Amino acid sequence: MNALQRIWIIFSKEVTDNLRDRRSIFSALASSLIGPALILLLIVILGRSVFSDPFDNPLEVAVSGAENAPDLIQFLEQAGARINPAPEDPENAVRNGDVELVLIIPEGYARQFASGQPATIRVVLDTSRQSALATVERARSLIEGYSQQTAVMRLMARGIHPAVITPLAVEQIDVSTPESQSLIFLNMLPYFVIFGIFLGGMYVIIDTTAGERERGSLEPLLINPAARWEFVAGKLLASVPFAIATLIFTLLAFWAAFNLFPVEEYIGMQLSINGRALVNIFLLSLPMIVLASALQMIIATFTRSFKEAQTYTGFLPIIPALPGLALAFLPVRPALWMMLIPTFGQQILINQFMRSELVNPLYIALSSVTTLIVALVLILVAIRMYSQERILFSNS
Amino acid sequence: MIEVNNLHKSFGNIQALRGVSFTAPDGMITGILGPNGAGKTTTLRILYTVLKPDQGSARVDGFDTIRSPMEVQKRIGALPDAHGLYPRLTARENIRYYGRLHGLKGSDLENKIDELVRLLEMQDIENRVTEGFSSGQRVKVAIARALVHQPQNVLLDEPTNGLDVMSTRSMRTFIRRLCDEGKCVLFSSHIMQEVSALCDHIVIIAGGEVAASGTPDQILAATGQQNLEDAFVSIIGTDEGLE
Repeated sequence: MNALQRIWIIFSKEVTDNLRDRRSIFSALASSLIGPALILLLIVILGRSVFSDPFDNPLEVAVSGAENAPDLIQFLEQAGARINPAPEDPENAVRNGDVELVLIIPEGYARQFASGQPATIRVVLDTSRQSALATVERARSLIEGYSQQTAVMRLMARGIHPAVITPLAVEQIDVSTPESQSLIFLNMLPYFVIFGIFLGGMYVIIDTTAGERERGSLEPLLINPAARWEFVAGKLLASVPFAIATLIFTLLAFWAAFNLFPVEEYIGMQLSINGRALVNIFLLSLPMIVLASALQMIIATFTRSFKEAQTYTGFLPIIPALPGLALAFLPVRPALWMMLIPTFGQQILINQFMRSELVNPLYIALSSVTTLIVALVLILVAIRMYSQERILFSNS
Repeated sequence: MIEVNNLHKSFGNIQALRGVSFTAPDGMITGILGPNGAGKTTTLRILYTVLKPDQGSARVDGFDTIRSPMEVQKRIGALPDAHGLYPRLTARENIRYYGRLHGLKGSDLENKIDELVRLLEMQDIENRVTEGFSSGQRVKVAIARALVHQPQNVLLDEPTNGLDVMSTRSMRTFIRRLCDEGKCVLFSSHIMQEVSALCDHIVIIAGGEVAASGTPDQILAATGQQNLEDAFVSIIGTDEGLE
């Protein structure tokens, strides 16, 4: 009997054993659904508020001293604004967020306006309140519009061409489309793919290492005629089908979420991932499965119990999450050095596959090879730990 | 045949073994008697290859436990102190796993399992998952999986620990049977009566050293005592940690 046959025996026993474990199955299934479910939830909850057109709602303006400027108020109302009476203490009300802005028209306004001097009006606003910025911006542009209109009329009354006061004609071209805004949701996908990979095989690894020791079945197992590296290999490989199943479930769930769920109703456009991208993402992710298993194996080998192993390995998926979450909000251009960081490179490449961008094959090769090398080193460390006498005594 | 020569082993500052030597021949039951903490388990662990001695050597059928661990593993069947089972596998599947690791397969393997199931009277539990087994049932499965490859040398670490009277009786019958088949049986115990009743050859360990060894008659003669239990106490100097 050779080493491969023994590894197969260990592998098939662990797979059979863990297929009967509800925790292993549940962990694989649940972790594949968390990502897609969370993203759909975000789309449903945030989608309408983030992506609904602000111009659909009337502009609410609280005005103090409206009677001082009937012309201005009429202009605002014609532009669709709804004029409300101002609260008692405008500054406090804005600071507390009770109203988004307050327009104060002082008593002297009418006199200044009539005499052709700059008539003062005050806008109370809070620039640190992001959610109010759109309203403030709309109100300000309306007021400037009124100011502009008045200026034009005054110039024309004096026989001067209004173009004199607009030396620059600024045209804004806004390239943001609902599509690029919605990609914020898609940008989370790479991280959840990795999340699934790290959780998918986790229970199998813990059960076959920390669990084996806690049950007291490790010592008798090691008396069987097989080298320590063969045990490590068999146990490590046993987690792979579970992680692969999780990865496939995750990708299918994302596909279903984006392609079958009426996402368009919520964010104004349909997200979609095509089958080809899914296959590419799947293949790109395979080296990370080996990496995750090796990392978990090391942790589960030095921890004292199943529970302790579970606690530590539970934190693992947070590590690749950090650059990944940053990536969701600040998309960066792929660079060579990023491919040298396992899981980070893959997140960038998954992102590119998703957007159907052209992916540099060198980057794919580099990130896969680097990840596999790191995984191999970790496996060697795990074998070393497994070869020490200490492995039997972690209980005491 | 098991030969142990001048074994030394320390764990940190604790010297567990300080020169243990003995021989356990084929066709005999050799008992290692000693109080808890005397070094019985450490000696057995070195013999079944999971610990390496700091000094000295141990050989099974002429194979050194450090230089040829695989050859040793093929020739021994061991029941360690910790003998947990896989709770989601049936008794038969637990045994089959070890059989396969020893290179057995197909009908040959199944026949060997059948034989052990019959010998250990476990027909009623063989196809049940081992979750919730009594300690007697657990020990039976652990022994069956350790012996499925029919090893010439059998090492048992306190095999009757935690067993009820009936299970202890059938365990002793089983150990005698192995001896009758010509196997080398080495077992450890801190129960004087058990060692007296079973052993052809006794090794008494105390404080990591062999305090005395020989046949029951030799031990009686050396101590001048009338019965073995008095002889054990006089050799070890106390009956603390013994039963």
